[in-house]
Amino acid sequence: MGCCYSFFCKEDSAQQRGEPNERTHLLVDPVSNSANIPQYNSEDFLNNSNTLPKKTDEQSALNRILQETATNVIDVAALDSHNLQQHEYVERMRQYSSKLQQACASNKLPVRHKLCVLQDVPIPEKVICSESISADDLNLISTAVSKAAAAIGEIKVEHKEDMVVLFRVPD
Amino acid sequence: MEELRKVLLDLLSKVSGLYCVLITDRDGVPVLKVLTDKAPDLATRPSFLSTFGLAIDQGSKLGLGKAKTLICTYSQYQIIQINKLPLIISFIASDTSNTGHILGLEKYIDPLLVNLTLAVADTQ
Repeated sequence: MGCCYSFFCKEDSAQQRGEPNERTHLLVDPVSNSANIPQYNSEDFLNNSNTLPKKTDEQSALNRILQETATNVIDVAALDSHNLQQHEYVERMRQYSSKLQQACASNKLPVRHKLCVLQDVPIPEKVICSESISADDLNLISTAVSKAAAAIGEIKVEHKEDMVVLFRVPD
Repeated sequence: MEELRKVLLDLLSKVSGLYCVLITDRDGVPVLKVLTDKAPDLATRPSFLSTFGLAIDQGSKLGLGKAKTLICTYSQYQIIQINKLPLIISFIASDTSNTGHILGLEKYIDPLLVNLTLAVADTQ
């Protein structure tokens, strides 16, 4: 109602001095911009269909303001209302699983390349803190490795023919 | 489908303390999920999971901008949700779990989302 009141209240404009206050018009007043201020009553609306578009303009502008306000306001109470019913939930879950089956059948997963040579270790500290191997095992490993190293060192090539052969290269 | 589930199960073992990974639509209806026994039941319900979408929408009105990831830490759990509209990825983990490791899982999930998005987009 306050909005309607200020809409028709001409004397307020002198006090406004361009600053917005509670009497500031929310809409640009199409009526006061024209030299002739037409007065409407309910009979005019009934008899003259030309005035109807103006009315709808105003209505749509008001609706727009209402919508903008609604999108800018954080209404916590209204957030709760968007709860799914149990049967809706089950129904949708079923739909998703069947659609997913189809999608998987038609589109195969891209082959995963190994991103890293090393494997991720979820809890590295556990691995690092784990008990070290026993002295016997360590001995066994070191002797085995040293024997293996010695064996590799002794590998020799026994050649039965000359390893370097002279081709008949003309001098 | 089993292949997708297996990828998610692999992810669970990659990060210690990660209890579940859920990929849901914006109303919290799961499209794909893997859970361990330790996953808290309440946090896997749609009413909780869908709050993320609302929080992101409403939070943008506060001037935070359109957030991509939401990390909530509680006394026992942490919940990390990533916006992949029309999908939401939710991770539920222990509060001591490494948040950075969990965020790093996003790159493993991204290739799966094509099929999942198809399933959701057709239905809605």
